[in-house]
Amino acid sequence: MNEKIQRKIFHYLKKNKIENFIGVPDSTLKHFIDECLKNNRIIISTREEEAIGIATGMTLSKSPSLVFMQNAGFANSISTITSLVQLYEIPLIFLIGWRGYLSNDAPEHLKIGKIQSDLLKIIGLKSKIITEKNWKIGCDWALRQIKGKKPCALVIRRTYHD
Amino acid sequence: MIRRDAIKIVSENLRKNPIVSANGFMSRDLFEVNDKESNFYMIGSMGLASSIGLGIALKNLKKRVFVFDGDGNILMNLGSLVTIGSMAPKNLIHIIFDNSSHESTGGQPTQSSIIAIDKIAKSTNYTVFRTSSKKGLQKILKQIIKKSGPILILVKINKSNRVSKRVSFTPTQIKNRFMEAI
Repeated sequence: MNEKIQRKIFHYLKKNKIENFIGVPDSTLKHFIDECLKNNRIIISTREEEAIGIATGMTLSKSPSLVFMQNAGFANSISTITSLVQLYEIPLIFLIGWRGYLSNDAPEHLKIGKIQSDLLKIIGLKSKIITEKNWKIGCDWALRQIKGKKPCALVIRRTYHD
Repeated sequence: MIRRDAIKIVSENLRKNPIVSANGFMSRDLFEVNDKESNFYMIGSMGLASSIGLGIALKNLKKRVFVFDGDGNILMNLGSLVTIGSMAPKNLIHIIFDNSSHESTGGQPTQSSIIAIDKIAKSTNYTVFRTSSKKGLQKILKQIIKKSGPILILVKINKSNRVSKRVSFTPTQIKNRFMEAI
């Protein structure tokens, strides 16, 4: 996803009352994260689960939050998502950069990348893939989910090599 | 002093301050000795009580937020000390009830008998207190009233065979009443 759209997504979510952006950096999401940094709305945590914990505390305080991470970090976080976010019905938006989407991505991403969509389905976390074309529809869907007190995920595919 | 006694002393001092308690016997003890709507019992997600507490503290600047953590719990999320120390929330009080063991799973040892968690916290800019007695704990609770956080109190406790009852509220009940209370 290009730089301009990533920056737009931040401002669109911020305009729609997402107040906190917490997570572990991912190169697929770097322009989005850079915009969070520029606007001083970010906490960079040491691990993805920690980010989910902080975002949960903020959401319990009625301050809507987004957690960003790479799909490797999403895999790290599955137990936290099931035993905290889903168990207590904490309405968080996850923004996940999907490495290993391309079958010739770097080798460390291939195995987990191949099962990314299945992992989301198995744990029952509703998700949408967002692109340069449909990002607004996806963001609106996610905002509706959390208004309905449900957590959800937006996924951005890594469609290029660096 | 066992955890249950230490929890009783601290929680009775706190009135309606939010408390986030770690999973396992920690939350069960707190539920049994002093259940309140402002208690958030974290029944899963081991390690994350301090992170949830940080999120609450950053959004409720006028309230002092307490975390009841265990040694096994914080050792699973030591990065949390770095994040909390760097964000320096003045209203966060992090209490570690340290029995150098995973008591909830059968008393297996942790390494906190070899590596002092309060020393790690000190190097991440917490104001640190340590005690192993009821009197010492009561004294610290008075001392911290005028101190700014992040504060860490390491309470050395003894292992115990006594098991408190399970938290009887459902997770969503815990969440809803906590959100209304704070």
